[in-house]
Amino acid sequence: MELPLLTASFAALALVFYVVLDGFDLGVGILLFFRSEQASRDHMVDSITPTWDGNETWLIMAGVSLFAAFPIAYAILMPAFYLPIILMLLGLGLRGVSFEFRIQMKSHRRCWDYVFACGSVIAAFMQGAIVGGLLQGVEVRDLHFAGSVFDAFRPLPLLCGLAVAAGYCVLGAGWLFLKSNQLLLRFAVRILRIATCSFVSVFFVACLAAVRVQPAISAAWASHYLPLSIVSALFVVLAIFLGSTSADTPPLRPLLAGTGLFLLGIAGIVVIIYPNIIPFQLTLWDAAASSASQKFVLIGVACVAPVVLVYSSYAYWVFRGRTPAKGWSE
Amino acid sequence: MIIAPEIVARTQFAFTVSFHIIFPTISIGLASFLAIVEGLWLKTKDQIFLQIYKFWLSIFAMAFGVGVVTGIVLSFEFGLGFAKFAQMAGPAIGPMIALEVLTSFFLEAGFLGIMLFGLNRVGPRLHYLATCMVALGTLMSASWILSANSWMQTPDGVQVQGGRVVVINWLHVIVNPSWLYRLPHMLMAAYLTASFLVAGVGAWYLLRGKHLQFARKTVAMGTAFATILIVVQVFLGDILYGTMLKYQPSKMQAAEGFWDKESQSPAPYYWIIVPDQENQRNKVAVGMPWLGSIWLTHSLNGRVEGLSNTPRDQQPLMGMVFYAFRIMYGIAILMFAVGIATIWHRLRGTLFTSRPFLHVLVWMSPCGVIATLAGWYVAETGRQPWVIYGILRTADAVSPVPGRAFLATLIGFVCAYTMFMAAFLYFALRIVRRGPTEISIHAEASGSLKNALRPHVIDNPELARR
Repeated sequence: MELPLLTASFAALALVFYVVLDGFDLGVGILLFFRSEQASRDHMVDSITPTWDGNETWLIMAGVSLFAAFPIAYAILMPAFYLPIILMLLGLGLRGVSFEFRIQMKSHRRCWDYVFACGSVIAAFMQGAIVGGLLQGVEVRDLHFAGSVFDAFRPLPLLCGLAVAAGYCVLGAGWLFLKSNQLLLRFAVRILRIATCSFVSVFFVACLAAVRVQPAISAAWASHYLPLSIVSALFVVLAIFLGSTSADTPPLRPLLAGTGLFLLGIAGIVVIIYPNIIPFQLTLWDAAASSASQKFVLIGVACVAPVVLVYSSYAYWVFRGRTPAKGWSE
Repeated sequence: MIIAPEIVARTQFAFTVSFHIIFPTISIGLASFLAIVEGLWLKTKDQIFLQIYKFWLSIFAMAFGVGVVTGIVLSFEFGLGFAKFAQMAGPAIGPMIALEVLTSFFLEAGFLGIMLFGLNRVGPRLHYLATCMVALGTLMSASWILSANSWMQTPDGVQVQGGRVVVINWLHVIVNPSWLYRLPHMLMAAYLTASFLVAGVGAWYLLRGKHLQFARKTVAMGTAFATILIVVQVFLGDILYGTMLKYQPSKMQAAEGFWDKESQSPAPYYWIIVPDQENQRNKVAVGMPWLGSIWLTHSLNGRVEGLSNTPRDQQPLMGMVFYAFRIMYGIAILMFAVGIATIWHRLRGTLFTSRPFLHVLVWMSPCGVIATLAGWYVAETGRQPWVIYGILRTADAVSPVPGRAFLATLIGFVCAYTMFMAAFLYFALRIVRRGPTEISIHAEASGSLKNALRPHVIDNPELARR
């Protein structure tokens, strides 16, 4: 029965879309901390304002696909990551309302900008912590979560949290490099270099830690030596490219390279945990809902997802080019 | 201290979902209103409609934003707080919510940016399409989520195998017995909410003698919509009442405040009771004689069923259901009275000048929100002790998370949401106080229609502005 594989692929695709698209949104949010002038911060937020909502919808899509097609896994993972998920949701909430509320303020807009940036940091960090917690392993007994709610705050998850936050800064700087005006261009270049260095080094330490705490990961390395080596090599090449960005680099390239880093990271994780959905515990097939539910989701996806991709691309197309100095509605 | 996870998990879900539903109710109603107003603008080219559009768009944007971020929470909360519910019902509820995300969340999100910021970039016609798509998205979203919730109220089309739901017939799951009545009931509630908001703000300006043209238009539109909608709503409510009496008698028994298997004849209509669930009786019961028989049984001496028809371990708490129902019903009566007053003032030509009537409109502006919340409390507290009626008890659905963790996050939600609400009210009231003339009008109606059909002008702001 290949239905669970298909629905899992869709859920994974939704997650990839989310990480890539909301990654730069969150990154831009975090980078608000590093600009003291109001005009720059306005410009940065303007660059993501028209499309952030669609980007975030991919997170709901990924979560709900898990709920629909793999309710057993969903019911284990949500309690297992209870605290980081709720903190992430609160972070996303603070960020989301700041979009609307900050433009209502003229004088104290700075406050909402900090709320915005804090929300972005929390959300990014918690997403990394969830990935780290997954790699470290979730305690399951009788198809229910049996660990502690603080399991997601062990050293490996914390390292992964830092890595993802730094990685999102790379994406955010790549986005600004593509979308912002001249003034922020040099800022974007500087951040691209610094954030890439930090991301790669934290990521490297996290990888070492993961191999240490979870024997199944070393086993996966042993059995999938070739694909994992290729992924790692490509990762290093892209990181070097990103670290050497200058103002003359073509506008889209840093964003694409940053996206490439994330895709490679995700590919590596997939190679390590497949065919499990809860790493090293439960396979896709063990956690799947009955085929009636899988089919319903897949038919819905097949009919609607292409249309979604078309108009979502159109929404990006409408707001193409560099962000106007006074925002999009001028 | 030991904190019972069940109580805190339920409180947390109740708090987050109650807070959330306020904003979709407003945005479902306002989205359709905005689509109507923009359509009128394109048709008549009357600038006043563009002004109304811009004004309510700014409030819509904030309500939508808060609705989105509080809604994301819910899609994870099924599993966070109620993992055993998620595990059991995921195969039926999950796919419906997945389709909701696919068919409506993306539609809303994709076109919202264009709706809010794209008028100059795409031209009025495509912009109107974007507004309509956002409105359509809100309607489809309501449809799916009502389907999912109605399935929990009146589950159908499934078998329970090994503690898990297996779908036998999707049509029966989606078009379950109560969905067909509950969906229009909720949509009317959202439209009534928006109508009273729009009319209330207009009335406030009329009372102050400000923005008169804007105010007259919106009071006229708001009261006209409200008058038609409340008639439809009372009719729909009555049908839904009958449906729920058939499928979930315990809810309606609790809503009417009678305990005995059959009430006295003729039955009164209670307005105030002090229920004593322990002894299955009311300590105090105040009502209007005869009216219970007339309203509830549509006869002069009919008897009303009491809650003791339901076994004690399957009874909801009467007080919650009763008072939630009274609040909803009471507001419906007030709305009906406003509808009659509207017709009266229309016929006499005093719709914009009768100060008492305008004061009533101002005070009634939040009533749609309150009635909708109360209605959801009837639906959700009346279904207890079940989370899926007759299949899974709420107490058996709670996640293996310690009560302290639930409490900590509940406090987090209360703090964050209080800030959201305070900011929303502050900014929305400030927009209202400043008035519609403060909102800049970017596009001109005349002449620019053609630009929408010539894509190259979008790249050229000079041309597009012409």
